[in-house]
Amino acid sequence: MSITLRVILLIGSVISFILCVRRIKQAKLKVENSIIWMVGSFVLILMSIFSNAVGWLSNKLGFMAPVNFVFFMIMVFLLIQVFVDNIRLSELNEKIKNLNHYIALKENRDENKKEEK
Amino acid sequence: MVKIKVLIIVPAYNEALNIEKTIKDIKKNTNYDYVVINDCSKDNTKEVCRKNGFNMVSLPINFGLTSAIQVGMKYAKENGYDIAIQFDGDGQHNAKYLKSLVKEIEKNNIDVAIGSRFVEKKKPFSARMIGNRLISLAIKLTTWKKITDPTSGMRAYDKKAIELFNSNASLTPEPDTIVYMLKKGLKVKEVQVEMSEREFGESYLNAFKSIKYMMNVMLSILFIRSITRKKI
Repeated sequence: MSITLRVILLIGSVISFILCVRRIKQAKLKVENSIIWMVGSFVLILMSIFSNAVGWLSNKLGFMAPVNFVFFMIMVFLLIQVFVDNIRLSELNEKIKNLNHYIALKENRDENKKEEK
Repeated sequence: MVKIKVLIIVPAYNEALNIEKTIKDIKKNTNYDYVVINDCSKDNTKEVCRKNGFNMVSLPINFGLTSAIQVGMKYAKENGYDIAIQFDGDGQHNAKYLKSLVKEIEKNNIDVAIGSRFVEKKKPFSARMIGNRLISLAIKLTTWKKITDPTSGMRAYDKKAIELFNSNASLTPEPDTIVYMLKKGLKVKEVQVEMSEREFGESYLNAFKSIKYMMNVMLSILFIRSITRKKI
């Protein structure tokens, strides 16, 4: 890996790490949701420090260049994240829908009761 | 014989101009119960219903037609209805055919009765009907049953089907649900009805949405509903 890429990776992951911690402090991000980002940025930091190991591994796995390996890892990580988020979104959607139904049905029941009285 | 309880579910989204006529049509032609599902309309649908004293379930968040039908099915189950009929609030459906749908379920032991425009009449070769034909073909391929008007929004469900709607949150008021019900071993039959063009307001579908709709329905029929197992 070139020294430029290593520096960029290092800076980027350090910034994301700091942002993550700050968000948790401000209570805008739940701890369990942030762990995956902390781990992710930590791995990136490791990768930029021990670039020789990365080069060795990517060579063994048959990548043309170590940088491809790094990008590949990031991509897989992000894809999984998007997929997990999608599932979470669907679950939330379902929950809101049920709540929506519950409120509407309850309102209808209450109104009918009022009329009976 | 115990009198069967029939509920007509009328989903309405921005139908202030049509809803009054629709409900009057229902009241004139039948003596069934009805419930208007107001899907958080932006116009004064809610006020119109209030003013007229219509039985209404008013959703606080807009969630689309599927959710509206689902809440109608929940209502039907909670209040112990034997038959629930899905009936559009935009004035396209004609209430005089409701009785024939109910009769079909009552007399012939059918589980789902669909109001179809093309049981006796031929399907025209228009652009809109291409989609209709494709869906028909997909249903034929997956279930070997002929459904002439799968996109029809006028359907009557019996207790078994209402139960399915309540137990499976992914069921929609769309054609793929017919496939699901057929795969579950329910009997589906079509009844000839007439439908009119809408008078006021806008339909749910436009060109882009139609394509998206077709993709959704076809994928769902071919890959998801087709592998439904019969055992519940």
